[in-house]
Amino acid sequence: MSFFQILLQLCEGLGYSVMIFLLTLVFSLPLGLLICFGRMTKIKPVSWLFRIYISIMRGTPLMLQLFVVYFCPYYLFRIPLRNMGDNWMFVSVIIGFALNYAAYFAEIYRSGIASMSEGQYEAARVLGMNKRQTFFIIILPQVIRRILPSLTNEVITLVKDTSLAFAIGQIEMFTMAKRLASSEVSMLPYVGAAMIYYVFNLIVATAMAKVEKRFSNYVIK
Amino acid sequence: MQILNVSGLRKSFKEQEVLRGIDFTLQRGEILSIIGSSGSGKTTLLRCLNFLETPDAGTITIGDRVAFDAADTRKLTAKEKRARQLQMGLVFQSFNLFPHFTVKKNLTIASELRLKEEKPQNGAEKATKKAQLEAIDRKAEELLSKVGLADKANDYPYALSGGQQQRVAIARALMLDPEILCFDEPTSALDPELTGEVLRVIRSLCDGERTMIIVTHEMEFARQISHRVIYMADGVIEEEGTPEEVFGNPKSPKTRAFLSVKD
Repeated sequence: MSFFQILLQLCEGLGYSVMIFLLTLVFSLPLGLLICFGRMTKIKPVSWLFRIYISIMRGTPLMLQLFVVYFCPYYLFRIPLRNMGDNWMFVSVIIGFALNYAAYFAEIYRSGIASMSEGQYEAARVLGMNKRQTFFIIILPQVIRRILPSLTNEVITLVKDTSLAFAIGQIEMFTMAKRLASSEVSMLPYVGAAMIYYVFNLIVATAMAKVEKRFSNYVIK
Repeated sequence: MQILNVSGLRKSFKEQEVLRGIDFTLQRGEILSIIGSSGSGKTTLLRCLNFLETPDAGTITIGDRVAFDAADTRKLTAKEKRARQLQMGLVFQSFNLFPHFTVKKNLTIASELRLKEEKPQNGAEKATKKAQLEAIDRKAEELLSKVGLADKANDYPYALSGGQQQRVAIARALMLDPEILCFDEPTSALDPELTGEVLRVIRSLCDGERTMIIVTHEMEFARQISHRVIYMADGVIEEEGTPEEVFGNPKSPKTRAFLSVKD
């Protein structure tokens, strides 16, 4: 098998990697904001609940969390996994990733929101804006601008983390590489996978730089 | 005609009593300066008047409506809160412009949002809405000309000097036509050479119609511009009168001491 053929085979798995990547972002970015609100609320018990959630999500390996999500229907509700439908494996990967990344994103949002000056809230208030308008129109755009560099870091990590889905048997690029490596008795598939991950991340980093540029039409003092 | 009546206003932060019973009234078109040393409670008073702080006791009446009554425990609806908020305008010491919006957007955003909340029901309403948006735009341009910044409409705040930023903030406060326009030490965050332009703009607003409350350390400015001056010390109004009375012939020893240190 030529290196080119190996790359072609890997690209089959890449489709899943990209799907895991995109779906995780779609769910975890808004979820992270909700968790951030929960963490920042003045209602102490709620705040603590979310604190514990974030602590567990950040303190245990994502791979283990994927196992927990994948097997929980059986261990919690005694539902055999084969009754969970053909997509359960993929769905549980997305749930696991989204829950995990949302915890990280929540902390990034929190750092951004905490860095906003009280004066911005007060200015919006004396101009008669309500809380929702103040947050979404005055605060959040400035927060996003501030947290974009940290967000980029997480998003790049996510590209590489998609390979963890192989742990519960979900096909994605790393699974393909592993399979090819053993059938071909060669390290070349790993080299190919590394190259594809790198190019994937190059695209992601470039895209994020574009977004950052789009947000830097003003300077923060 | 009386536009503001403040009665028995008290406010504490933790153990510290910052306002210890404030009473005064304001007539429409009157310009009131509040002077006093740092920690005398003048900024807290202004923040109470703008509903950024909730007083522990007392009432605030704007026009003939009670805007705040500490004895009334009923929770205000969002609409009521906004209505009373918009009767007051506030220019902050640190400008607090929105850095992610252009100068013009800083002026128009609040009005635009208010307009957007009323969903147009039909074509005719949509058309009036468009006309209203254009009116907001024109008003912003007029106000920017008024504060001498028409050419900065599309700049972002960071590109402006402190004096220019504060003039934008003044124009922004004027956009909503508040009954009473308040200034919280509008020149205290500025370099001395920039205070002049801001004070000139404030002076240009005195047309006998507009009611203003100015907390300031600029004694000469307060003396020239005000109809009435309040000197605050330790959370109470120590002395109140015309600029001639307070600056020319202060009765209280505390006022005298404060003014002599200032000179």
